[in-house]
Amino acid sequence: MKTKNDYLNLFGVSSAQLRALVAEGMKSGGDWCDLFFEDTSYGELVLRDGKVSSGGSHIDYGCGVRVLKGEKTGYAYAESTELPALMTAARKASVIAAASARADKSTRPAVQPVPAGNYYRMNEDWRLSEAARFVPVLQKLEAAIRAKDGSVHKVIAALSWQVSDILMYNSLDETTTDTRPVGSITATVIFVRGGRTEMNNASRSFRSGVEMIGDSLVEELAEAVTRGMDERFEARRPKGGKMPVVMAAGASGILLHEAMGHAFEADFNRKGQSIFSDKMGCRVAAPGINIIDDATIPGNRGSINVDDEGVAGQKTYMVEDGILRSYLHDRISAAYYGVSPTGNGRRESFRYNPIPRMRCTYMESGKQGSCEDLIAGVRKGIFVDQFSNGEVKIGEGDFTFYVKSGRLIENGRLTMPVKDINIVGNGPKALADIVAVASDLKIDNSTWTCGKEQSALVSCGIPSVLVKSLTVGGE
Amino acid sequence: MLEKEELMLTRECLQMALEAGASKARASLSKNEMSIVATLDGEVDKVSGCLDRSISLNIFVDGRYGTFSTNKLDRESLRAFISKAVGTTRMLAEDAARDLPDPDRTAKDAVSGDELGICDPAWNSVTPEQRIAFALDNSVQRRQGRVAPAKFFERASCVAVASRDNNSLPTCAKKWKLISEEGEYSDSIYYNYVVDTQGTEALHSETSFEFFTELTIEDSRGRKYSGGWWEASPTLAGFHPEKVADAALEEAVMQIGPRRCRSGKYRAVIDSEVSQKVLNPILSALNAFNIQQKNSFLTDTLGKQIFPAGLDIMDIPRTPGEACGKMFDSEGVATSNHYIVKDGVVQEYFVNTYMSNKLGIAPTIEDATRPVVCKYGNAVSRQDVMEACGDGILITDFCGGNSNPATGDFSYAIQGYRFKDGKIVHPVREMLITGNILSLWSKLLYAGDDARRCRSKLTPTLAFDEVDFSG
Repeated sequence: MKTKNDYLNLFGVSSAQLRALVAEGMKSGGDWCDLFFEDTSYGELVLRDGKVSSGGSHIDYGCGVRVLKGEKTGYAYAESTELPALMTAARKASVIAAASARADKSTRPAVQPVPAGNYYRMNEDWRLSEAARFVPVLQKLEAAIRAKDGSVHKVIAALSWQVSDILMYNSLDETTTDTRPVGSITATVIFVRGGRTEMNNASRSFRSGVEMIGDSLVEELAEAVTRGMDERFEARRPKGGKMPVVMAAGASGILLHEAMGHAFEADFNRKGQSIFSDKMGCRVAAPGINIIDDATIPGNRGSINVDDEGVAGQKTYMVEDGILRSYLHDRISAAYYGVSPTGNGRRESFRYNPIPRMRCTYMESGKQGSCEDLIAGVRKGIFVDQFSNGEVKIGEGDFTFYVKSGRLIENGRLTMPVKDINIVGNGPKALADIVAVASDLKIDNSTWTCGKEQSALVSCGIPSVLVKSLTVGGE
Repeated sequence: MLEKEELMLTRECLQMALEAGASKARASLSKNEMSIVATLDGEVDKVSGCLDRSISLNIFVDGRYGTFSTNKLDRESLRAFISKAVGTTRMLAEDAARDLPDPDRTAKDAVSGDELGICDPAWNSVTPEQRIAFALDNSVQRRQGRVAPAKFFERASCVAVASRDNNSLPTCAKKWKLISEEGEYSDSIYYNYVVDTQGTEALHSETSFEFFTELTIEDSRGRKYSGGWWEASPTLAGFHPEKVADAALEEAVMQIGPRRCRSGKYRAVIDSEVSQKVLNPILSALNAFNIQQKNSFLTDTLGKQIFPAGLDIMDIPRTPGEACGKMFDSEGVATSNHYIVKDGVVQEYFVNTYMSNKLGIAPTIEDATRPVVCKYGNAVSRQDVMEACGDGILITDFCGGNSNPATGDFSYAIQGYRFKDGKIVHPVREMLITGNILSLWSKLLYAGDDARRCRSKLTPTLAFDEVDFSG
């Protein structure tokens, strides 16, 4: 277990220097200053054409200095932790105090209500493991994939990891540290049958050390990337239009991320841009529906012990029993709304200032039976179970997500496989249109990355749900 | 600016790699210095300054290959990093196809870094005060008597001065108020210096001045709409952000009152601002990596007529004075202005050294740098194209979706307008287009000549017949 001194030594700074840097940042009249030191190592290995013949490693090191004057931000960073470079960054960030004409609410009142947890371990450090350790893993994965499906033509298997040592210090004299590991393994497979080609991919990602790699994970991934390919080759585009949609448990959680989660991020609400900005305390979903953004799931890709402002990672109920209860806050928005920050102030790296971001967003299980029960209740509609990218327009609330596979529902039964379609809808309406929630919550552990201004590791989950009406793209 | 010490250090990395046991190596220094002033509702919201430097290394050891990068650029850290990198590379499988490019193909004429004239010395003279002024002076809320938050406006004509094609009639009777205005001015200078152990040495530099605005408005029924616009230029003299906020506001206001359209086949006109969405899958499918992986719908199409006769798609990376041009690719291979598709016939796959050796075909360039879809038919502007098409749906934005790289099947959500007799009649919402990229391009009606030069991909307004819309 690293101590605070270990982190100070890693970055070559002393507590006195941290105080001096914050004082420099505050000198021009700022009312908040924080420092974010980061030392991140990345590594990857790729198997292609049967050989692990590509790989590498990368280092990203530096410190970001943020000065706030009310809600206004001054930000600068240095790719060195030498004191002169950091002082220069602090001076650059401090200019916001002079440039800001209006006195907003101070950022200081934000209170840290929850002690930081310990939601991930790294028993075996990725940084100390040699590439040769992982070559057999990728070879085993390829073999497992080929053993499951004779139509496999090409396999690209990749293993990547990153470990970040983080040291934060702020003008409340709070020092926070964290070491964040994440490991990911992905498989992209080209299948060829009768001259036709289909591509599929699957991935798993966890905040964990090397110990996450094992035969069971390899087998799970091989199964995931080959499952359903018979249907995929048969699949067609359905006739498009508005129809009921049953969303399978797990990856359908992208619905929550795109359609609701972004609109619950407090920066969009503070600026009045979100479609939910005047809905706090209002009913936004049926009674019994709970939607959560959670940083506390052990080993989850979206989990964080502390956010990038030093606030403890938390489990935040955004919607409780159908009522909008909380936005996702960083310190700026928390001060604006006069609430405690929820630990959602996150950043891609020291190069970016933190903003409200999701972590693991999911809906709690309901009481309307199983996925099969939901399907049985639909006369004509669509069942969707695999997704890729999604997008939302915050103001309008209109969202889209791309469906890789699913089936038609006809008279309560799954029939023709479908693929390569989009589903579009409007966030508040889709949320209100969830008419049944099964009791099968599943968190999806794929390599979800959110791209709101900056990249952030996230995950999502949902039980099977029935949405009364969504627009499905088709012929 | 790029210091001699930084160039020397990059070259020293090659020597460090050789000393650690590499047989060949390439080093690439990237350096970017950027200043940003962001505004919210006409006031400064964020000021940011940054300087990034990193060195990327491609290391070849005993027939093996690895890629590495670091921003810890002191010599001691670099030497340790490179030594470890060589060790890591040794653990990988041999791959005989990995190699540096033929020295005859590398750029010899990228010496000063400014051969294309896109590194403006005026960047050095921009002051912090000027940056703040650029950001504030181009805010609609800073202009007295124009727009005030929380006040409803009934006539969009008070702001819609920037109509791009005098076709903004739906804004006239709309009632709305401004909710928020976010603006961002930024300027930057970027350097890229590539050297390898065969003597390749190429330098690129480029400045950029950019301004972006995003506005959110609310109509009288409480529904919100957003609009965004941006301008960019490699030179300060060519930078004209004055109409950006007006254009963003017009885009937002024009969306008020969307209606659904009946699902069916329509003529689709795709605005030049977003039409690269239907070009990108083609460029990706022409990449030899995807062809080698059987993940391309353009396999075995080289030299064949795949697109409509008369359609030309070029790559023009060496056009002086234009943003995003470059004299060399990441391998240091010299770029050239040339045809990708000529008269509908595929002229080129994008083949780097690795794929060339792997597939046994001649190398070209690793990717298109500045592709341009040339004029097709006799319409120039978006308005010309709509008038020529008569009725259809104008697509002004894509909101998610995907294209299957192996089959070319696509499905995209869109934002846009129904138009009849060449005139916009109402916005549309919650609509999707589906189809196949090759089938879509086989029904190309027009490619205009209105691509904005500030974009890296010069795709003009495009029109296609019989596109499946659903909503």
